[in-house]
Amino acid sequence: MAANKRIMKELGEINTNPPPGCAIRLAKEDDINLWDVTMDGPQDSPYTGGKFHIQIVLPKEYPFKPPVLTFRTKIYHPNVTNDDKGAMCLGMLRADEWKPPNKIVDVLKLVRAVLAAPQPDDAVEAGIANEFKTDRKAFDKTAQDWVKKYAK
Amino acid sequence: MASQHQQSSYHHFHPQYYVYQPAGQQLYHDPAFTPREYRLQVPQPTPEQQQHQAFLTGLNQGSFRPQQQQIPIRVRQQLHHARVAMASEGQHAGPSEEELAEMQKLSNEYEPEVKGPLVGHRQLTTNITAEYASADPVYITKTEHLPEKYSHYRTVRGDGACGWRAIAFGYFETLVHCGDANKFLEEEARLCSLGNTCTAAGYDQMLYEDFADESYALLRKLMTGLQDGTAESVLFEAFNDDNLQNYIITHMRTLTSAWMKTHPQDYSSWLLGQTIDQFCDQMIMPMTSELENLSLTALKDVLLAPAGITLEVVYLDRSPGVAANMHRFDPGTAASFDIGHIRVLYRPGHYDIMYMPQDLPPVSVPVQTYLQYASQPYHEPAYDISMPDFMTAIPGMSFANPHQAWVGSSYADSDFFGSSAPVQQCPQPISAPVIAAPQPQLQAASVYVPAATAHLVPPPTQMPEELVIRTVPHASVSSHESFALHTAGPFRSSQWQLQANLSQHTPLQTSIFRNSHFNTAHFLNPDFQPEEWHPEDEYVTPNARGSKNRSSG
Repeated sequence: MAANKRIMKELGEINTNPPPGCAIRLAKEDDINLWDVTMDGPQDSPYTGGKFHIQIVLPKEYPFKPPVLTFRTKIYHPNVTNDDKGAMCLGMLRADEWKPPNKIVDVLKLVRAVLAAPQPDDAVEAGIANEFKTDRKAFDKTAQDWVKKYAK
Repeated sequence: MASQHQQSSYHHFHPQYYVYQPAGQQLYHDPAFTPREYRLQVPQPTPEQQQHQAFLTGLNQGSFRPQQQQIPIRVRQQLHHARVAMASEGQHAGPSEEELAEMQKLSNEYEPEVKGPLVGHRQLTTNITAEYASADPVYITKTEHLPEKYSHYRTVRGDGACGWRAIAFGYFETLVHCGDANKFLEEEARLCSLGNTCTAAGYDQMLYEDFADESYALLRKLMTGLQDGTAESVLFEAFNDDNLQNYIITHMRTLTSAWMKTHPQDYSSWLLGQTIDQFCDQMIMPMTSELENLSLTALKDVLLAPAGITLEVVYLDRSPGVAANMHRFDPGTAASFDIGHIRVLYRPGHYDIMYMPQDLPPVSVPVQTYLQYASQPYHEPAYDISMPDFMTAIPGMSFANPHQAWVGSSYADSDFFGSSAPVQQCPQPISAPVIAAPQPQLQAASVYVPAATAHLVPPPTQMPEELVIRTVPHASVSSHESFALHTAGPFRSSQWQLQANLSQHTPLQTSIFRNSHFNTAHFLNPDFQPEEWHPEDEYVTPNARGSKNRSSG
């Protein structure tokens, strides 16, 4: 009830004033805890031009547990798991760093910032992180290829 | 190490990694008793180790105790593979560091068993003594001395928020024990006004409201509960509702960090290498951050001191001494009044709530009744007793005249105020023994009550009549019979018989009242002699009494 109130507030706010490059709607009409986000790849990044489908699951303990964020669109990125889950978990999204006053709009801003500037030191895909650090060109190329392949 | 962290703005350090250690805390840090705090010292990285070190830091961050499940297994596997791959490259990592990393990882993953209710029931402090009976001598000695001062304690679940929960619970409980309904309104108004502080500190009012509203709602519920005696159970249930207590704790966290941000001069000097904003973001606001010494001080400043609540922290640790150290946080100048104490027991990394005997809710009503001799230690009889019984507790109101034996068997179920039958309706045969009771003596005593207490006593000439009028309808035939049966000592056989020693505890006994016939405690005393007037008394002390009589007469 109270958690729903919070989510309703955020949903209202985010609909009137959506963060740049994001389109948000509920995945299902009757489930307020499941959000679908379509995020444009940031300019000046290998992901530009891509449209990424991100699903946000708000746990029933929200805002006391962080939202769970998954990339439904495959993406070549050191901070997103390269599997069918496409999980992203860093910074404020970690349960031990999550603060109840954080909002989903902040989370989306973080995601966009991480797309623009990957965090190889905080990577979940060590191979990609290594490539990002040692062979930036190869990384950019693969990332762009994946955008063409999956995120159009 | 710090330079690494500035590499990314989203790269938050693990709280416990921070060097912040308030003075004195080191003293109480006791790894052997708090495995959750146990942590390997990773050596400072040399420049060529930086890269690897950064990677390890990433590992540490990914694996914090209660959240381990949050990270998909696959991620962890990949971390492992990556680490093995890196090690096999043999660039920087010697085997010792590899081992260290592995141990560090295990250490980080260590998850203390978190169990028990969020807030437990009150129990005897001797249980702590028993718990430490096989610990080392320092603990045995200290815990043995604990029950001397602190009679009870209450466990709080050690999930990281225990300190916050203990103080928050203590705050509401102290208000309940204070028993003043207005205090709840005052506190709600005060906390509401702190909303401005939160806005000033940069917290979104829209979000802050959600948390604060639950605190206000609890205050209001407790105020209502105060009237029907359910306040304690309402509070207990509220803090064992995981969701609800999260709201309240988050409210407390927000208040604390807003207070620190708006009063930086009071706190910044205690921070080592952190700004107030960093401290609040990393050490206060995250859900799992524990109550540090500094945040404890700030919480006291914003929540407890202005409410007139004193905070005492008892440190149970391995420091030398026979008794646990106690630090007392007085309200100071913030409040000129004192409504109670919160006492917490601090064992390194964990807080529980403690009580001194005087903190407990009153064991019995201030004026004891005869109907209530089996006192329960923690209940609040003041709110439990029913109306007729309660009336008998008021000395002046008592219609149980010691000289009127017929009351004995009837007053348990009589409704004193509900029956104001006129005297004409009284059955004649019953009123007879009443009048036959030693009225003259009663009147004599009443009339000559010393002038100083005259205002305490109802008009003496009316008193006996009123008693007769109101109680006669209840003096049924059976009570009449009981009078006949127990002429020797009618109150001895009552089922409400007073325990022998109880009368000695009766408070509110001035010497004048003790000797008054209105003092029903004399039911038991066959040798009771009411105070009598002697002319000598009147004239022996002419100064005080004589002049008073003259002026009043």
